[in-house]
Amino acid sequence: MKKIDRLKKSYDNIDIPPELNDVVKDSIRQAKASQKKRPFLKQWTIGAVAAAALFVSSINMSPTMAQAMANIPVLGSIVEVLTVQKLTLDEKTYQADLATPAINGLENEKLQASLNEKYIEENKARFEQFEQEVAEMKKAGNGHLGIDTGYEVMTDTAQLLSIARYEVNTIGSSSTTMQYDTIDKQENILITLPSLFKDDQYIKVISSYIAEEMKRQMTADEEVSYLDFETIKPDQNFYITANHQLVISFDKYEVAPGYMGVVTFEIPSDILSNLLVSDVYIH
Amino acid sequence: MTKKDKFELVEKFIIENRETHYRLAYSYVRNKENALDIVQDSIFKALKSIDRLEEITYLKTWFYRILINTSIDFIRKHQRITVMDDEILSVHLPKLEDEMTDMDLQEAIDQLPPKYKTLIILRFFEDLKLEEIAAVTDQNVNTVKTRLYSALKKLRIEVGEEFRL
Repeated sequence: MKKIDRLKKSYDNIDIPPELNDVVKDSIRQAKASQKKRPFLKQWTIGAVAAAALFVSSINMSPTMAQAMANIPVLGSIVEVLTVQKLTLDEKTYQADLATPAINGLENEKLQASLNEKYIEENKARFEQFEQEVAEMKKAGNGHLGIDTGYEVMTDTAQLLSIARYEVNTIGSSSTTMQYDTIDKQENILITLPSLFKDDQYIKVISSYIAEEMKRQMTADEEVSYLDFETIKPDQNFYITANHQLVISFDKYEVAPGYMGVVTFEIPSDILSNLLVSDVYIH
Repeated sequence: MTKKDKFELVEKFIIENRETHYRLAYSYVRNKENALDIVQDSIFKALKSIDRLEEITYLKTWFYRILINTSIDFIRKHQRITVMDDEILSVHLPKLEDEMTDMDLQEAIDQLPPKYKTLIILRFFEDLKLEEIAAVTDQNVNTVKTRLYSALKKLRIEVGEEFRL
């Protein structure tokens, strides 16, 4: 066995070249750069385009198919989400990358315009503030500052569209905030958390479920840890999944230590059924 | 956990364990430039396919698998090159007799087919558990055990008490 011990030693003594550090960091940087060019949404768009192409060709192919399709309401109005604006700043220690989404194809144009305007304003304000902070930091010496915003489509069904917008701020460590908008594409309304329920009992029911769930997760997995949790906010961040489940979301640091990141809880629909105004969205 | 947080965790893991990853790659190709290329390649592959890492607890085995597959691919592509830079050097250097036998064993390990070599490296040099090796190489624990035994047999290494499989 001595032999293999000595071999292990020579394995451990394999010289580490000084350039390894740079190679690793450069690789990560490049991988990041190539990832930003191919955001989540693009894949979704490609899917939608492919589906659209398929529709067109199948309608051409058979009149029966065309007739059948005409009865599907989605075809009339395809709602999509696009990136309309990119604000970037790239200086050595100051990095900003803000992607602004826009919704297209909602029948309620007023709602659509107000959401899109909100998204643009939000990022414009963030960018201006960032530039100001950078200027101040430059005056005071030098430092690192980063901001990164973007969005993901969480749910996109015939009925619902849920968009999550995230903001990551980097000053030494990073903080992440998430915001969601959920839209009923058929009724053309923006869904808020209180609007789903008959009264405000939901706050208590959901909060106590989450508190229990936190306890359960912490016992099951040592690496999971939550801070003291009492109650959700009446307008807590949420979205609705394609399977009609309500998901409650907390920002980084809101209910858990930083390493847990943004945490979400899927609430079982059966504990909500008595509280809901209707079971159209959640069941 | 969001995608962003997952990315950060993976990034941290890659930076912290860069030397281990380099050694692992080096033990396949025995050459600095190629080992660095493999590390770089593996980082790309990993960060690009980060969605396929379903649970962060599998991070280590997941990354090892990418690294090892990249190394083996590399060897396969460059099979014709039999002489390696660093080895020429060491052959010309004077050695103690004892070290010569180690060199022979090292060479014997290098001559093993990759699937056996991987097991020897992971088990004895990287100190991975059999279950972990099974996860990295995507085979069941019994196969890992059998193959390890036959690899050791090929090398004529006797397994002492302290290296219980």
